Amino acid sequence: MLSENILNELRAIVGDEHLLTSPEALVCYSYDGTFHESLPEAVISPASTEEVSAILRVCNRERVPVIPRGMASGLAAATVPLDGGLILNLVRPNRVLEIDTDNMMATVEAGIITADFQAEVEKLGLFYPPDPSSVRHSTIAGNVACNAGGPRCLKYGITGDYVMALKVVLADGRIMDVGGKAIKNVTGYDLVSLFVGSEGTLGVITEVTVRLIALPEAKRTAQAVFPRLGDAAQAINAVLRGGIVPATLELMDETAINSVEDFMHLGLPRDAEAILIIETDGDESDAVRDMEVVARICREGGASEVRVAQTPEGSDELWQARRNISGSLGRKRPNKLGEDISVPRSAIPEMIARIKQIAANRALPIVIFGHAGDGNLHPNILFDKNDPEEWERVQAAVGDLFRAAVEVGGTLSGEHGVGTLKKPYLEMALGPTPINVMRALRQALDPRGILNPGKIFD
Amino acid sequence: MEATQTIPFQSTQFITDSQHPTCIRCGLCLATCPTYRATLRETDAPRGRIAMIRALAEGTLEARKEFSERYYDCLLCAACANICPSGVPLEEILQTARDDMYHHKLTPEMLEQLGQTIAQHHNISGEDNANRTLWADNMSQEPSGLQLCETAEVVYFIGCVGSFFPRSYSLPQSMTELMDKAELDYAVLGGEEWCCGYPLLINGQLDLAGELIRHNLEKVKALQAKKVVFTCPSCLHIWSHVYPEAAGGGELSFELLHATELLADLIDEGRFKFRSMPRRVTYHDPCDLGRKENIFDAPRRVLQAIPGLELVEMRDNRENSHCCGGGGNLETFNAALSQMVSDQRLAQAQEVEAQVIASACQQCERTLASAARRNRVRIRVMDVAELLLRALDEG
Repeated sequence: MLSENILNELRAIVGDEHLLTSPEALVCYSYDGTFHESLPEAVISPASTEEVSAILRVCNRERVPVIPRGMASGLAAATVPLDGGLILNLVRPNRVLEIDTDNMMATVEAGIITADFQAEVEKLGLFYPPDPSSVRHSTIAGNVACNAGGPRCLKYGITGDYVMALKVVLADGRIMDVGGKAIKNVTGYDLVSLFVGSEGTLGVITEVTVRLIALPEAKRTAQAVFPRLGDAAQAINAVLRGGIVPATLELMDETAINSVEDFMHLGLPRDAEAILIIETDGDESDAVRDMEVVARICREGGASEVRVAQTPEGSDELWQARRNISGSLGRKRPNKLGEDISVPRSAIPEMIARIKQIAANRALPIVIFGHAGDGNLHPNILFDKNDPEEWERVQAAVGDLFRAAVEVGGTLSGEHGVGTLKKPYLEMALGPTPINVMRALRQALDPRGILNPGKIFD
Repeated sequence: MEATQTIPFQSTQFITDSQHPTCIRCGLCLATCPTYRATLRETDAPRGRIAMIRALAEGTLEARKEFSERYYDCLLCAACANICPSGVPLEEILQTARDDMYHHKLTPEMLEQLGQTIAQHHNISGEDNANRTLWADNMSQEPSGLQLCETAEVVYFIGCVGSFFPRSYSLPQSMTELMDKAELDYAVLGGEEWCCGYPLLINGQLDLAGELIRHNLEKVKALQAKKVVFTCPSCLHIWSHVYPEAAGGGELSFELLHATELLADLIDEGRFKFRSMPRRVTYHDPCDLGRKENIFDAPRRVLQAIPGLELVEMRDNRENSHCCGGGGNLETFNAALSQMVSDQRLAQAQEVEAQVIASACQQCERTLASAARRNRVRIRVMDVAELLLRALDEG
């Protein structure tokens, strides 16, 4: 599909070294953070919005599928080039263009690594809160395109809550600025929100303006051990009803505890059914007072032990367990499928009970962890993809999980997005009319269907 | 391509053998890999390198020059192995990939030549090996370790770079002067010191190193040394990881230690008197000394013993240290990429406003000093031993 003439035209835009077609390079751009893979036909790495625009003009004319991609840490197979086409690798433009301290906003190019950006603003006492687990290996535009979340979103909100303006290149190559620095802005449709979470299907984000807040002065971290998972689930709501919004409220279940302990040897309680990791922040007195309340509620709610870190190092140590769950699961079974269902807060205990039931029914290990405080759970199914019978059970279990999430009033995905993996379940979650509206929007913005085709819905 | 059909690729076994943890493609290694951070290309990232080996195992890629080059563009710095949450044995995989390339005649020409030079001349520079002590010629007093002796308590194994590269001469000069001031009974091997074999190891040509290793072991044993001390972490690394097996397995009859460990002990014993040296110094952990030998504290203890010296840490330090760009023979294979990596590390030293970058590896010092010159940055790059010598009170 990508003829030599088209490739030459693309080379002329970015320079020879930024268009890769070797078999080695194609392998390296065939995957994301899931087990899906499919080879692209070429990989192009533009340096600027203008180059992105020129590339899209060619691809639109020639009807070449374009798959925008940052660092491909995604967990929904949204950047896997399922039908070949051109990988649009957006990591090269990665500067901070402006930190506007008066308005407390910053404008950055698409490819900056989110953690690098956070470090820059924190030097000025400012704070960009969204903190997906991939914060060190994902780009800001990738975060926006997937509307990434993270532990701190309980208190501070998700990526989309911070996006003020975007520079977007449309499928036909037109460059468009949407949003701005005015906090209140109801002039026309909210096009910023349209592109947030659009997974590269509506346009290519090349610049992002986000708002910033003041960096909290202090924080306190606690680890609460619960002999019973049900008690932990109830405690989450008790804390939140207690009028406290912790910065984070993370849950790990027995399987998560044990798989981390197997390789980290942190001294975690192997017989506990759940651990909650809770962080409060604010000025020194707020952080301390909130933590006192949290600790009391946990103890009254059945925690056998509540450890509060007194130093930043101690806090890091408590976080170590949570941070290493995902990686440690790779040591248990060859493959894992991490879902990220999101349910109303009140339904957390019910949802956890249902996940346990699904694991038992399908005879599969399902690990539960996640940002329990906001109802976003990560049930991870562990399996071996080479066992076809097991793989069938995994797919059935995924369906069960999604149905259960929808039944308790929740939805398929809190932060990973739909991509390829959740596409079959979209109609169950949304119903036909919203999907038809989305389809009409997509058709209007990308009539030739070149942008990330086959993702989210057909 | 006959060879590819007969000799199996050992590195693919890590991918196909179910005993090894699998890469879950999380991408965490991208954040820490110096070559990825320099080029921003997945082909230069550990995740990509693993994916290519998997594709080779599955038969969708073939081993050819363009394939092998991806593995010589690696610094073998092991930052990825350190951070991988799944415990994928990246250090072994990336090293074994180079062994495979050698057996399939895919070693790049310039590295192949380096291997031949070492086998023939017993050093990396191709000079007469008798010239190993030229560094001592302009010292006001000949180091005692150069005098012929029957036995010595300590053997100082200098390594090829300190012996043959004039810019690195001050390292053996400083180290011998310090040992003389501490009145140690030590010896250097002079023309009888042969290349340790490390460049061959990382070329994937360990097969060629047997004679060198046996020779060095014999010479040290003949002096009945109790300790062998190294200023070069790479020499130390191969001595501690490969030499014991070549010596018949088990433990060596002498202790191996890095110069900074010896110096830290001598300081603790009160062998040196200091004057104040008010400098803002950052310490660069060499990959072969830190991540690979787990020596992080000794060099810092030496620096902290110097009165007035302010030690500041760079963003990436200790286990997370960022390679200087000089690892894995990359400087020989791809100088431009090596320089990009050095520039990144230099920028981290500038970020903490260091006046001096101290390190404990002549290779790191060479690459970082070149980066400072190239970028016209006024930061001095010195070895911990050189810095220590300057901080001594001569009164």
